[in-house]
Amino acid sequence: MSNNMAKIADARKTVEQLKLEVNIDRMMVSKAAAELMSYCETHAKEDPLVTPVPSSENPFREKKIFCAIL
Amino acid sequence: NFCVIFITFEGFLSRAGEANFPLAKMAAQEVQPSETIAKLKSESEALKTKLEEERAKLHDVELHQVAEKVDPLGQFVMKTRRTLKGHGNKVLCMDWCKDKRRIVSSSQDGKVIVWDAFTTNKEHAVTMPCTWVMACAYAPSGCAVACGGLDNKCSVYPLSLDKNENLAAKKKSVAMHTNYLSACSFTNSDMQILTSSGDGTCALWDVESGQLLQSFHGHAADVLCLDLAPSETGNTFVSGGCDKKANVWDMRSGQCIQSFETHESDINSVRYYPSGDAFASGSDDATCRLYDLRADREVAIYSKESIIFGASSVDFSLSGRLLFGGYNDYTINVWDVLKGTRVSILFGHENRVSTLRVSPDGTAFCSGSWDHTLRVRE
Repeated sequence: MSNNMAKIADARKTVEQLKLEVNIDRMMVSKAAAELMSYCETHAKEDPLVTPVPSSENPFREKKIFCAIL
Repeated sequence: NFCVIFITFEGFLSRAGEANFPLAKMAAQEVQPSETIAKLKSESEALKTKLEEERAKLHDVELHQVAEKVDPLGQFVMKTRRTLKGHGNKVLCMDWCKDKRRIVSSSQDGKVIVWDAFTTNKEHAVTMPCTWVMACAYAPSGCAVACGGLDNKCSVYPLSLDKNENLAAKKKSVAMHTNYLSACSFTNSDMQILTSSGDGTCALWDVESGQLLQSFHGHAADVLCLDLAPSETGNTFVSGGCDKKANVWDMRSGQCIQSFETHESDINSVRYYPSGDAFASGSDDATCRLYDLRADREVAIYSKESIIFGASSVDFSLSGRLLFGGYNDYTINVWDVLKGTRVSILFGHENRVSTLRVSPDGTAFCSGSWDHTLRVRE
């Protein structure tokens, strides 16, 4: 019976957890998607992998050094 | 201790049989236990159906449809700018320092190395007392690193300015799990660490005292990964596991707030979208997926018929437009998060890509591989 009590306790926990998850507030996908898109667009210019920065500002690129042979 | 009692009783009970127990002992239950379990199970099933129905009501459009009006991305050329060589075996995990140039990495042979990614110099090296150091993380201050793996612990090593100092001497054991440590992350400060483990739980620890502050139960199998929500979003984190579930947790209460089960296999990596409103996952089912937290559902799948190996590690670019995925077929696929298409495939590693992180300022990303190396690309 102790085994059953443990199973009942687990089953009760699962039911309570599912009740919580069912009752949360949700947003329409169209609205959520629009907000994801707007975040991308707002930050696109600051994203060096989307809007490449000049080599001089990129710490991993080799800096171009110009030598003059005299 | 409570569990131990159950185990010893069970053997006795299976021989004695339930019918021998007087009804009075079925505390506060007026029905047979088997009826209650059946009733609770059917209530569970009904709730699961209701959850899917509620989620479906909001599914008015697909993300990639909404994204049709967004400008497509240009051609991508990403080159390897630095190759970090020095690990003697598979690289399992890496993390960037907030200074955008230092990297900590850990490997199967028990070594944890701190690199200067600009110069490729090794600044610190520690040998752990165990192999398979599956998790490592840089402290926000840049003054310490945390790591762990088959030792079932997460330990913190303060980084000394004196390169000759023996780091192992100052090691502090913080977290204790009952199975391997799969991931770790400092919270907003050096004072707390969040861990996930093969024992099926996540836990929040105080670094100074080693005290367990909160534990997170709900996964039905090994937890493989975790990621903290961006600080503006509040105190939540997401975890992914071998039970194919991604769970979002409230750090203060220990409560699971939302749960997503659409992957078909282990979830190896989870990462929040930069705004905190969504997260991506990478799985052994060869797909990466995007889940929106406010719509409470999966909103994109990043997959191709030609991609049949698992995704081990994912991360977003700074704006959230790009999703980088490291795969077990040695490649890195770069996805347009909004349109759902692949924009680039990157070669170079000679074995599985096991770990991948974009740098804190978004200028580059680093991948670690079973080929013993790390590559910094942009």
